[in-house]
Amino acid sequence: MKERLHDALRGARAGYAELRFRRVWSTSVLVRGRAVDTATTSDESGGIARCCSPGLGWGAVGFSDPDHLDLSLLRAHELSLAGGSRRPVTLAPIPVRALDLAAAPADDPREVPLVQKRQRAEALAVALLDTDRRIAEAELLCRDRMVETWLATSEGTWLHDLHAEVSVALLAVAEEAGNVERALGSLAVRGGWRAVDAAGMVGETGARALELLHATPVRPGRYTVVLDPAAAGALMHRAVAHLARPALPGADPGPLPIGARLGPECLTLGDDPSAEGLRASAPGDDEGTTPRRSLIVQNGVVVGHLHTRETAGAAGAGQAPTGHARAATLRGTPYPRTTNTYLAQGKGSLDDLLHDIPLGIYVADVLSCELAGDSVSLGAGMARMIRNGNLAEPVKGVRIDAGLLSLLGRVDAVAGDFTWDTRCTYCRDGSAGVVPITTGAPHLRLVDLAIGEGIA
Amino acid sequence: MIGRILEAAAGRVSAADAAVKSDDTMTLEISADGETRLAGSCTRTGYLRVIAEGRIGSASASDDDAAGLAARAMAAAASGERLELFFPAPAPLPGVVTRSPAAAGAEALDGLARALLDRLARDHRRVEVWAERSEGRVEVANTRGVLAGYEVSLGGIGAVVEPLGPGAGPPCRGHLSAVALPDLPEIEALVAEIERRLAPPVVDWGGSRAAALPVCFAPRALATFLTPLRAALLGREAWLGRSPLRGRLGERLFSEGLSVSDDPLAPGRPGSRPIDDEGVPSRRVTLIERGRLTGFLSDLEVGVRANVPSTGHGWRLPAQTPRAGYTNFLVAPGTESRAALLSAMGTGLLVEDLERGAGPRPLGSGGAVGFRAPWAYLVEGGEVRGRLPGVMLTGNVIQALGRIGGFGSDATWLGSQCLPSLLVEGIGVTVTA
Repeated sequence: MKERLHDALRGARAGYAELRFRRVWSTSVLVRGRAVDTATTSDESGGIARCCSPGLGWGAVGFSDPDHLDLSLLRAHELSLAGGSRRPVTLAPIPVRALDLAAAPADDPREVPLVQKRQRAEALAVALLDTDRRIAEAELLCRDRMVETWLATSEGTWLHDLHAEVSVALLAVAEEAGNVERALGSLAVRGGWRAVDAAGMVGETGARALELLHATPVRPGRYTVVLDPAAAGALMHRAVAHLARPALPGADPGPLPIGARLGPECLTLGDDPSAEGLRASAPGDDEGTTPRRSLIVQNGVVVGHLHTRETAGAAGAGQAPTGHARAATLRGTPYPRTTNTYLAQGKGSLDDLLHDIPLGIYVADVLSCELAGDSVSLGAGMARMIRNGNLAEPVKGVRIDAGLLSLLGRVDAVAGDFTWDTRCTYCRDGSAGVVPITTGAPHLRLVDLAIGEGIA
Repeated sequence: MIGRILEAAAGRVSAADAAVKSDDTMTLEISADGETRLAGSCTRTGYLRVIAEGRIGSASASDDDAAGLAARAMAAAASGERLELFFPAPAPLPGVVTRSPAAAGAEALDGLARALLDRLARDHRRVEVWAERSEGRVEVANTRGVLAGYEVSLGGIGAVVEPLGPGAGPPCRGHLSAVALPDLPEIEALVAEIERRLAPPVVDWGGSRAAALPVCFAPRALATFLTPLRAALLGREAWLGRSPLRGRLGERLFSEGLSVSDDPLAPGRPGSRPIDDEGVPSRRVTLIERGRLTGFLSDLEVGVRANVPSTGHGWRLPAQTPRAGYTNFLVAPGTESRAALLSAMGTGLLVEDLERGAGPRPLGSGGAVGFRAPWAYLVEGGEVRGRLPGVMLTGNVIQALGRIGGFGSDATWLGSQCLPSLLVEGIGVTVTA
């Protein structure tokens, strides 16, 4: 493949040319109740040829078949000439490097027979259903993927990467006396099946569904709210990190201005595609840039954006590519996207955050977090009242709707107990598609926050 | 290609069916700062389902390796489910327009995108537009002798308009799609819709922060509002026991004026096709007729499990087993104008667009869901007073469709859905701004 890509690039006439080809082997096993509903395998491949002509813009051609790379490059070059861009594209420079990390892992999910994957999935579902007679329904999805990527550019960059990902996602339904409650759980890791022990997650999800049976609807009002690391990470990803990349087609508006104050001194967050072993980590982004940890907000003030080569070039002096160019599909164009968003740890423990709260709410699970305009909406799957500094009875239907600056301005403490959230989480951003992400955060406290009642 | 796929499985299976879908797409985007991007994409995906020793296995691939695809389908069947699936025999196919013969290159896309951009551009606005054209082919075959193919095309155009400045609303999105690229009158209609949404001033909500109000859903909002109904009408959901409509066939569950159907034979729409991805000829299916539940969508698998015939709604997507899904979804229009609906409402909300908000999956609570309504307008005395920010709608959609107060005559095609405005009484409204 290396020679084929380089041969095609040698004939490219554009000022800059790039070829990426990706192959994904995947299996998917869905269990409903105690039996497998579907088990499928897939082998997909595809790539993109991109050309950028001096003084003009991009041309890109997606393809399935790597046999005609020269034709794809030629068409991409023609499209780059036909685009008639009013603003010439400037690509910020990156060091040229060659990296080959394509050794097959010892724990290759392709080597595990499908029948074994079915048995594993069925065993997990049965374990959940046998937990308690009130667990009425289980739905479990086990997936694995091997992803191999080849990237070559006319500047000489060469990347070859092969990695595995596995995930288990679960819906547990509990029923008692006509009351039906649902809980979602998931686990996703970089590596093969030996890296996953889903039994704990399955038990915890079932316990959450059971606990919701006795949760009471939250009483709307103003509370001090403590978010668990998963909820805090989801909030920071959606409300802040999404606004730290230049505008995407069809997505939220442009980035938060550098220098703007978003919140208090205790708020520091960034995005780190170089974090070891996380799903969104990679040795190089989809333009070949070396990933690096990028600060977005430091002590409450916006200090940086996430860049591709193009957006860094457009941003001008002082801005460099950060390794966040990500393509959502095999044949997709890379855009600046978040990878592993983190809220930096502060000080103290969860108990320190709770101890002086006479009445508050602890959000222990997040169903959704959305941003519309400057309004943030967070729906909790599971929450508890905080009474006199202690976690008390479970409540349900907790939702937070607030303006972005108003919400972040109410952050008053960040704990020191940072954890990465290993759930199977994805980011959707405008028409740029869906990419896997990870978030990480410590516990976070917000004061005097309006809590509404969603669908309980 | 499709012949080679079936040949690769022959002799080792009792039956098999296959599909091959190819697609050549060109997309042009003009960003808010005037940059034009052109992208093309050529894809081809092969799908194979086999029945071997009574077990079913499916696989898909995007390369030309028919033997590899067959081997993986066989491997899936080795541990696959036992199901007595019968593939359809060859049958005459209905005629339907699935392709526009008009070719469209980069120049045509640029012209359409700029026509939209020029009409939407204003001071204090950030506007981005896109136009897209794809052409492709779908082939379907099985070991009982079905071998069919048809050409498809799709044209689309869309815009995101973000008002700038104090009190500005959220980004306003609109798009059109059909087998042909839109013409100028259709672009003008899209521009008119976007301007209608942007024009009203922001107003304060003087009433209670939470109330049950009549809401008039414009077609674009109705498409999102009906998400739980669409999920509930899938035969698979009924068979799994997750649809609140299960076991209620023939009952009058909705307001009398509500008639819902799915029509793959509607000419020139994105879901139009003469045959489904499992080889079953397409036909129009009535799901709700004058408020009475009359059917569910099914594919071959649901048909076997529920002992009903397939309705010809099987779809195949990469890395998934075949599933029933919608083609062109239609809600029958009424006779009332938008103005008449608002007048009948008195005080309430007009909602032009919706977003699914936090909450369970569409059928998670029997149809109860929450929606954000960034494009909601206060209506008093039948007149639109202004846009209300921070509106959330909550409630049970299935139950709400029993409280329909009026059907608009303005049925509008939005991609593969044709929907009128709908006035619904007693929607839970929360205002958070």
